[in-house]
Order: sequence, then structure tokens, then C-alpha cells
Amino acid sequence: MTRVLVPVAVLEGGSVSPGLISLLGAVDVTVLGYHVLPEQTPPDQARLQFGERATSALEDISQEFAAAGGAADHRLVFTHDREQTIERVTDEVDADAFAVPGTTGDVERVLVSLSGDVDADRILSFVGALVGDRDIGVTLFLAAGAGMPGDGVADAAASESPAPAGGDAGDGTDARLAAAADRLRERGLDVDTATAAEGSPFDALIDAVPGHDAVVMGERAPSFRSFVFGEESERVAAASVGPVLVVRDRRADDESDEDAAASAADDTAPAADE
Amino acid sequence: MPDEPSGRNLDGDAPVAESVVETESATITDDAELERTIGLTGGLAIGIGTMIGAGIFVFPGLAGGAIGTAAAASFAVGGVIALLVALPTSELATAMPRSGGGYYFISRGLGTLAGTVIGLSLWLGLVFATAFYLVGLGYYALDALAQVGLAVGAGSDAIVSVIAVLAGGAFTVLNVTGTENAAKLQNGIVALLLSMLVAFLGFGLLEAFGVVAVDTPPGQAANVWGAGPVLSVAALVFTSYLGFAQVATVAGEMKDPGRNLPLAMVGSVVIVTVLYVLTIFVATNIFTRDALLAAGETAIVEVGRALLGPAGALVIIVGGLLATMSSANASILSTSRAIYGVSKDALLPRWASRINLRYGTPHVALGMAGGPVVVLAATGQVQLLAEVASFLHLIMYGLMCVALVAIRRDRPAWYDPDFVVPGGPVIPVLGALASFGLIAFMNRLSILVGIAVIAATAGWYFYYARDVSLKGAL
Repeated sequence: MTRVLVPVAVLEGGSVSPGLISLLGAVDVTVLGYHVLPEQTPPDQARLQFGERATSALEDISQEFAAAGGAADHRLVFTHDREQTIERVTDEVDADAFAVPGTTGDVERVLVSLSGDVDADRILSFVGALVGDRDIGVTLFLAAGAGMPGDGVADAAASESPAPAGGDAGDGTDARLAAAADRLRERGLDVDTATAAEGSPFDALIDAVPGHDAVVMGERAPSFRSFVFGEESERVAAASVGPVLVVRDRRADDESDEDAAASAADDTAPAADE
Repeated sequence: MPDEPSGRNLDGDAPVAESVVETESATITDDAELERTIGLTGGLAIGIGTMIGAGIFVFPGLAGGAIGTAAAASFAVGGVIALLVALPTSELATAMPRSGGGYYFISRGLGTLAGTVIGLSLWLGLVFATAFYLVGLGYYALDALAQVGLAVGAGSDAIVSVIAVLAGGAFTVLNVTGTENAAKLQNGIVALLLSMLVAFLGFGLLEAFGVVAVDTPPGQAANVWGAGPVLSVAALVFTSYLGFAQVATVAGEMKDPGRNLPLAMVGSVVIVTVLYVLTIFVATNIFTRDALLAAGETAIVEVGRALLGPAGALVIIVGGLLATMSSANASILSTSRAIYGVSKDALLPRWASRINLRYGTPHVALGMAGGPVVVLAATGQVQLLAEVASFLHLIMYGLMCVALVAIRRDRPAWYDPDFVVPGGPVIPVLGALASFGLIAFMNRLSILVGIAVIAATAGWYFYYARDVSLKGAL
């Protein structure tokens, strides 16, 4: 089952918009309530003082998710480092994607970015699970100027035909986008495609946002750019106002997938080895 | 033996007891998880950052001034004692990676009375140490003023006190209101200091062995080699070795504590010991005893000037300001953990560790650190502050070694350290003897103040928390 992690700054009035709750109605959700503390503060002290209040807020949020359809649970973490916490919990619950909550009403159409070196195969299967058999349109977006190596989408498209050729990236963005769109259409989704020929991929993506209520994008390796400007997903969320779902890149651990799935199942229960 | 703390204090509060699971990256309690966010670098930065300010930038003048090159031996003795305690502390910390450090180990190993005395003296010891760092900061600020031409003749002691008090107030306010994480900054400052010191000491050593030559001022006073003076200076400069116990107070927030806690504690002691001994060697090689004594707390600035000219002096002044600031800041950080550990166990009122809603900081605990720090800093008594801080820490160190022996003997079911001190009871027993022994070489006034503090904390136990039982609980 597909699982999405929804981080919420639970003690700072963080909430989840109704649109995001209904968008995630077809998948399982783990609500991650977190509270970031300054380093002068012992996290345990914050837990004793705020734990109950945070837990009751979290229970409300996960009930809303459960009411929307999918299974929902929650975890509460007191931390000095938000990124580290999201990363760890995403791993532990073996989530396929995490959300950057934004504001939206009912979602009618989502924008799916395949630009850059992302795990396109996983993004497409995630979108399939996310939409399910609901009447939500999908726009696949590919910025040609992204300078992507191209193997991601090509592999995804080729996964139906048994012979993935490494050298056919030159066919251009349209062919790969069309292959990806076909794959989703086979699942009965309403799919459009859009490309942007020039300009920065980030700006092109933001320009494509109007008319869409949420963005799905792939996780990228940290880069100098993300170090300076912040995570790309955060910037997209800020610029587009709506929620962003970031699909994790798991090409690296696909080989050890079976081990990981087994140990991740243990980790989900908060009772580890000791 | 009970597995859970029990009893109530005067306010009717009981110690908070619950079962938790420790993993490498988080502490998992019944209703929430606590992320472990401090890595090995962060741990080393806390340890080294706390220690280096005192040992390099304040003590060379005082120690070298008292006994000359023999002070290098004093620092070495201090380093060996610190190491003898750091090893047992590592074993306890990997078995109980919780906030509060030394207090936690002693209250669990030796019971509530010893725990209360140590928990409160850890807080007060950190207060004395912080005041000492701030007075050091004051001396460096004064030198910095002199460097830019604002020479202050008479009344310089008063100015040092004023600067120390202002800095103490500023630190407290910053810690209460600041939500920016200074940890990264602290790492950077420590890295900068270490590279400055390596360059400075490298050049100094070249000079010492005659590869390069600088003018050394004349002086007659000979070095004082002798067990008594060496040990008495070791007792004074032991304040330069308090940092590793600060690492233990944030044990609850260290990633992979089984590996990182011992490495951070033992590693920081070894690194600073080498730096201290080399610094004293270089300083006393250039200046004789009387010249160092005349230069006082900031003698190392004069060493920098002799070695590298005005630029050298400037670098050392900047380094001294940064180092004493980072010492003071790291100590205030540990103090909030120390107070929290004690109040969680109902040995202090619960409100002592309350968190401020607006800033998310423990304002009461920080105030309980900052208030007395400002008062003590106003005295400007470098030597007294340093020795009382050492006294209170040495009592804790000795008792931590005793606690290790006691816990090993009692073997509670939960006691399963990742790191075990080799050699059975030899190292903890030596550590305890050395810690208590060093106290005998302190000034009588420092010992009296220290004993008064201990007596007051014991009195608090009998007044407030005599019914609380912590021994053997996890």
C-alpha cells in the first residue's frame, strides 16, 4: 500500500487543508507531528510540558484523514532538526512520499513534474495510486531545459517493453512524455501533457501551476543550489501556495528492497531492539 | 532493588517515571519521540569549546607565572585525572544516555542524597565556571580595548567586572530569546580556534627548538619543579578540564550514543591536554615566570606578540574573546539540562524547568544560571571562581567513579553499557582517589566555599526531597 508522510508543526498552529486531506483519501497516511526546539531546551522537557496537547491535536488530524478514506496513524517528535526528523520517520514508516502542506480546496487537477534526474518510475506509480479511480486530472510536465539525463522517463516508458535502450534519449522530450502519459492512461486516468522548452526548470514549473491544485514532484539529491536556496520542494510549495507531494527516490536501494521492506516493517512499531 | 523512582517532595510531586526505548537516532517514549541531533562533531565541539577558553587563554599566565615550565606537568596531571574520570563517565553515559549527565549517574548509583548534592552542585559548579569564563572574557575585552588605543590605567579590575557582568546578562537574554541554533556556529568557532592554535603552536615549537629565533625578554626567575607546587597548580587549572562532563549532560541528545559519547568525551580530553601542554611549553619557553606573572590572565597575548608581532597579539585577542564566549555559551547550555534533570526527579520544584511559550526556551532554568553568574562575575575573582568550580566538579567526578563501582556491583537488570572501562575497578578507583586527592591542594578559601555549597545542597535535600527515592531506578 502506498503511504504518504504528512509533517505538521503541531504546536505552532500547523494544520492540514481539507483539499490535501481529500487528495490523500486513496492512500495511507502517517501524520508526523513535530515541534522544533531551540538548542537551549531539553526535548524531554518540552515533551512533558506539551506532549498531551500535541497528541490530542494529532489525533484530531489523523481522524480527519481516516474519515477521508485511507488508513491513518500519527507520530509525535520533539527535535532540534526538522529535516533530520522528517528523513528518519519517512524511512521508518517506509513512506513513498512526504507532503509539504499547503492550502487548497478540492483538488481537481494535479501537476506532476518529471523534470530533472528523478525516479520517474516511482513518480508515475505513485500518481496512479494517489488518484486511484477518482475523477482527478493529471498534467505531466517536463521542462526540456532541465538538462536531465533522460534515462528516468525512458526507463519508465520502456518498462512495458522488455528492451530498454539507453541511447534513445535523443528522441526528445515529447516521446518520453507521451510514453509516460500512456502508462497512466492505461490505468484510466485523465492525462494531459505540458512541456517547457526554455528558461529555468523551476520557473517553468511555477508558470505551469495555475489551473492545478497540487504538485507532485520527485526527490532530488541535495545540491549546492538547494543548500543556498533551500529544498526545491519547499520553494515550489512557497511559490505555488498549494500542497506539494515529494516522491522519494529509491533507485539506490531497489537492489536491497526486500531486506529494507522487512526491517522497515519492524521499525514501524516504536518498539525496537533494546 | 526498585526499578522505578518513588516518593514525593515537599510540593507533593513525584519523580517522572516511565519506560523509554533508546535507539541510535531517537528516544522513544510512550507518547512521543525525541530526536537525537548532536553528532560526534557536535559533541567534540561542546567538549573542546568548553575547555579551550580556560586552558589556553586564561591559565597560561597564572600557572606559568606560579611555577614556570613545570606548569606543563600540572596540565598533564590534570589531563590524566580527567582521562581517569572520562573513561568511567563514558561507561555510565552509554548505559544511561539521558539528560543531566553526572547527576543522573550518581542519583541512580548512590541514591537521592548524593544525587541531590551533585545535581545542585553541578548546576552551581557550572555557574561558577561560567562566571570564571566571563571574567576571562572581560580581560580579553580589556586587552582588545587597549589594542585599539583605549588604554585603561587605574580601575581596570572594575572594568573587567563590568564587562563580565554585561556579558553575563547578554548571554542570559540571548539564550532566553534566541531561537536560532548556535550549534553550527559553535562548531565553526571551535574549528577556527583549533586551526589558529595549531598554527600558533607550530610556530612556537619551531622557535623552541631553535629553527626560528625571536627575541625573548630577559628574566631570572627559575622554574619551580616540585610535587607540591605542581599539584597545587594542577588543582587550579583543573577548571580547564570540565568540558567532557558537559558532553554527558547532553547525552540524551547525542546520535548513536554508544559510539559517540565515549569518543567525544575521551577525544576532547586527549585533544585539549595535548594543546594545553604545548601551549604552556611554548609560553614558558619565551617568557620566564615573572614576566608571565606580570602579564596576568592575558599573558598568552604577549606570547603571541613576541612570536608574531602585533598581528599575533591581535589573533590571540580575537581567539580569546571567541574561546571564552564559546566556553560560557556551552556551559549555559549544559546548565539547562542539569536543572531539568534535577527537577524531573522532583528534587527541585517543577517550575524550575518550565518552558517559555513565546520563545520555547527554559527561561526559569536559564535565569537560575544567569542570575548567580552575573553576581559571581561581578567579584572578578578569577582564581577563586575557577577553584570552586573545580572543587564542585571534582566531587562529582569522584562520586561518578564510585557510582560506577557501585552500579557494577549491584548490576541492575537494565545496566548494559555499550562501552566498558577495561581493567575492572582499577581505573574508577584511581579516578576517585585522584579527584578527591586533588582537592587537598586547593586554596583554603576555595575549599571552604565549596564545602559551604555542598552543605547547602545537602540541607536542601533534607528540607525538600528526603522522601524521594531514586537509587537503582533507570
